[in-house]
Amino acid sequence: MSAFEILVWILRLGFLGLLYLFLAVLARGLLRDLRGATARTTRAAGVLVVMAAPAGAPPVGATMALETITTIGRDADNVVVLDDAFASTHHARLTFRGRVWYLEDLGSTNGTRLNGRPVEGVVAVGFGDEIAVGETRFRLEPASA
Amino acid sequence: MNRGAAPLVQRGLARLAVAVVLCYAAVALGLGYWQGLQAQALTNDPGNPLVAALRDGPRGRILDARGTVLAQDATVGGVRVRRYPLLAAEPVVGYWSPTLGSAGLEHTYDADLSGLAGTSPVDELLRKFGASSATPLDVVTSLDMRLQADAVKLLGKQKGAIVALDPTTGRVLALASTPSFDPDQVVAPGTGPAYMASLSAPGNASPLLDRATQGLYTPGSVFKMVTAVAGIGSGAITGATTYRDQPGEERSGFVVDGFKVVDGHHDFTGTTALDFVQATEVSCNIYFAHVGLATGAAALRGWARRLGFEAPIPFDLPTATSQVTSGGGPLDGFVDDVELANAAYGQGTTAVTPLQMALVAATIANGGTLMRPTLLDALRSPGGTVVQQTTPRVWQEVLSSAQDAVLREAMTGAVESAWGRPFAGSAAIPGVQTAGKTGTAQLGGSGEPHAWFIGFAPAAAPRIAVAVIIEQGGHGGEVAAPLGGQLMGDWLRLAP
Amino acid sequence: MIARSLAGIHPRPRGRETSLLLLAAVALLTGWLSLATTQAGRLSAGDPGLLVIYLAAAGVIHVLFVITGRRTDQVLFPAVVLLGGISLLFMARLPPSLVTQDAGPAGVLTLAPLQLVWLLLSLSIIAGLAIVVRNDTWLRNYKYSWAAAGVTLLLLVFLFGDEVNGVRLMLRVGPIVGQPSELLKVILVVFLAGYLAENRALLAGTSLRVGPLDLPPLAYLLPMLAMWGIALAVVVVQRDLGAALLFFAVFLGLLYVATQRTSFVALGLLLAAVGSVFLYAVEPTVQVRVAIWLDPFAQALGSGFQIVRGLYAFGRGGLVGTGLGAGLPSPDGTLAVPALHTDYVFAGLAEELGAAGAIALIGLYLVIAERGLRIAARGADDFRALLAAGLTLVLVLQAALIMAGDLKLVPLTGVTLPFVAYGGSSLLGSGICVGLLMALSDAGVEAPAPPQALTRGERWRARGRGVAGRVERAVR
Repeated sequence: MSAFEILVWILRLGFLGLLYLFLAVLARGLLRDLRGATARTTRAAGVLVVMAAPAGAPPVGATMALETITTIGRDADNVVVLDDAFASTHHARLTFRGRVWYLEDLGSTNGTRLNGRPVEGVVAVGFGDEIAVGETRFRLEPASA
Repeated sequence: MNRGAAPLVQRGLARLAVAVVLCYAAVALGLGYWQGLQAQALTNDPGNPLVAALRDGPRGRILDARGTVLAQDATVGGVRVRRYPLLAAEPVVGYWSPTLGSAGLEHTYDADLSGLAGTSPVDELLRKFGASSATPLDVVTSLDMRLQADAVKLLGKQKGAIVALDPTTGRVLALASTPSFDPDQVVAPGTGPAYMASLSAPGNASPLLDRATQGLYTPGSVFKMVTAVAGIGSGAITGATTYRDQPGEERSGFVVDGFKVVDGHHDFTGTTALDFVQATEVSCNIYFAHVGLATGAAALRGWARRLGFEAPIPFDLPTATSQVTSGGGPLDGFVDDVELANAAYGQGTTAVTPLQMALVAATIANGGTLMRPTLLDALRSPGGTVVQQTTPRVWQEVLSSAQDAVLREAMTGAVESAWGRPFAGSAAIPGVQTAGKTGTAQLGGSGEPHAWFIGFAPAAAPRIAVAVIIEQGGHGGEVAAPLGGQLMGDWLRLAP
Repeated sequence: MIARSLAGIHPRPRGRETSLLLLAAVALLTGWLSLATTQAGRLSAGDPGLLVIYLAAAGVIHVLFVITGRRTDQVLFPAVVLLGGISLLFMARLPPSLVTQDAGPAGVLTLAPLQLVWLLLSLSIIAGLAIVVRNDTWLRNYKYSWAAAGVTLLLLVFLFGDEVNGVRLMLRVGPIVGQPSELLKVILVVFLAGYLAENRALLAGTSLRVGPLDLPPLAYLLPMLAMWGIALAVVVVQRDLGAALLFFAVFLGLLYVATQRTSFVALGLLLAAVGSVFLYAVEPTVQVRVAIWLDPFAQALGSGFQIVRGLYAFGRGGLVGTGLGAGLPSPDGTLAVPALHTDYVFAGLAEELGAAGAIALIGLYLVIAERGLRIAARGADDFRALLAAGLTLVLVLQAALIMAGDLKLVPLTGVTLPFVAYGGSSLLGSGICVGLLMALSDAGVEAPAPPQALTRGERWRARGRGVAGRVERAVR
């Protein structure tokens, strides 16, 4: 094999090799992303801290990890179950979309309040805001790292 | 509206991602198939423009088993052309012309002859690193031109074909088809196209057609050996099987579903109920019609398939597909028992190639084992190094040698026995026990029948098996059998 | 207004994009060296002008991304640049006279320079969309208008389209000739994303039971039938099997993501099967397509010529390929494979880069798929998720369809290999897809309020705006 042929083949295989290097760099990034993603999903995007509860359940000061869609109400199938006579069976829902929490009332009898104002439709909730369901009050806080 | 009823989009996306990955995996598998598994076959395909791009390069020679040149390059007036020294080698060798394409072995081994075919995937890969150095290879065939020329001479001006092969290895020794053509005239620059046109002109006897591998003929009585293989192989009959009604039916006819099978050409057997060997010796249609019905449609076709029927025979040249029936009927393809009975003695819609019938003879000659037929002995580099060597391979184990013994006895009797001699005795080689079976295929209408002969010799330890057909030649025993016997005798003298 | 938006700009480094682009540039320059050396017969860089211009343009766009500081995806752009670069290398290797266009003062442009022009336009579109689009209401709120525009486009093609090779695809507006179906794909995705995002809860939640079938409610079945009808119409009117197949596949993909009900997809596949049988019976072209797909070698010199020649090209390439520029020569100007620069570009690349290179190409499309679907998964709401998924599907299914067609895995259809095949319309359409995907990927932009948050007044005002508003009202 002549020197020229060797040169040509180094270039040809080099080109292919670089294409694969490009893909390999991306694959490494992908694996990192995947690990990051699993780490993120295992951590709750926020918690509710109980500020006041009429019947003592859940106890004041308790923190409850939130799911991406968190329903609040008296029924046992809610994520956050309240022992509160003024709460409806399915009272309100917190939804996490695009790094923002949204709160909506699910047509409850007594309504849901955000920082004291009744909730109409879907409203964004910031960390530190106070949510009132029946006589139970919560504060939304970021999940402690 | 309760938006909560909709499932999370993310889960659907994950499944979609899986689907996309599967799609691309399929594409990658396709790449692996065409660029890995099939790459060499595609590159060597005669249709590949890469092969055409090497048209101007030198080509290897085509040789017979003893080194006789059948095709080689020659330079005429500074232009390289193909030369074919021996007309008798056509149409097996075929032709190769830069303008008219190629045929025969020139077509099959185009890639090897032009030096395109890699000898192994590793070579193929290494060639890519080099500057496309094509090494034309010589194709060494199993033909023996002495026998081939003999076969062509025996056929003479008649239309027909002769196939001769070594039953123990499957090597084809002669493959003659007449009339043939002159390849030098085909590849002659300038006059080639006109010559080709004259060859394919209507009224001409299709000299371009290789009758030996692609001609389909009604087999007549030579097909009885296929029926016999099926009957013995399936256990429907043994060598001792007789049919009580057969002698009577010789006179009155054997009625199948209202159709009468008639015989009447062996009065001397009288009232003897023939056994298998005797029935073969006198070629009794009624006996074999019984065998066919006893074997049944499915088994007859099944055993025929084992012998190579109903699929193109894997071979170095294109082959036509032999058939027991044209199919479509409710009885395993047969219309009814009448067709089955007719097929059992080689009439009906049965159609066979001479190569196929030679394989039947070779199977019986080789103790029931069918070897794969081959024309290529070896591929050799110009320096004489053997690059690829054909080794004999068993194609089908059709019968056990015990089952086969009675078939050999029957075919030997057909040539050598007192009863058989009037029919196939003309094939007998002086001093050698010869086995054979004749056929006279009625074509309907007023035309002369096809004359057939299949056989092998010496009967005890066969070294050659043949099939002979003369188109509309008349009686097999008078026309075809002498040629078969002559050819086999010549071979035994040539290759003692 | 301008001052305010400028004030909001903070340059932000994009390290990952920088390094990926550098790697892509090194790879492409090596490829160019390999090509020029092969062609010259000695070590040579040839005339790398085209590639240098291309890489420079990519660099400028990257700097623009950095300056404008949006937090868009950093992988899509380098992947597209690499694909486009491979395309440029291959076009530079093909006979230049394959395509020529009189470009007035610039003289007559040949294949590779023309492809460069289209690639630059495509990259510009990506850059423009990725930098400028911060808001998706113009897509979200006018979905029926977009659908109407799409149908109009289809009608225009039907009425005024030019036939090329028996396929009515081209629309000529003055000197500009384009394939509207490339644009139609994007419009379709916008409409589907809007429609499905709005109705997906209902689609997923309710059903109409007919015997063993679990059908969507009738009101929602109709759009599905409409889609099916459009796909059929595309085939019958434009004889464009590929676009029809792609439309329907994208539709089914999005329908599944939105509802996750396999019964709907099964119904869709059933409809597709019925449509296929119908088309097979009605359209002779479809019959030919299927026949040459099943056994191209039977018609190796006739209708199966292209497929057979394509397969030969794959075979010649083998595992590592012949090397760029070392594929089968075409001395008399006729290509070894017809349409080597468009439909059969994948076969051509597979010949010269081998299975290794072709699988790398597949890898690049998988990268686009991964990024696109990830953007969709992170989408702030259903519309954005479905939009991103749809745009991704358009790109990657199209690539899979033509690659599988070249490989005789599916009947050959005339869709293009995104960013690689020659062709302006295709490059621009694909550019729009990637540009929108990048815009959607911006994690720094506030998520839009969910649709319900629009007050009644706002909605009426939106509806009242211009023709689009009237269309929206008319459809509802």
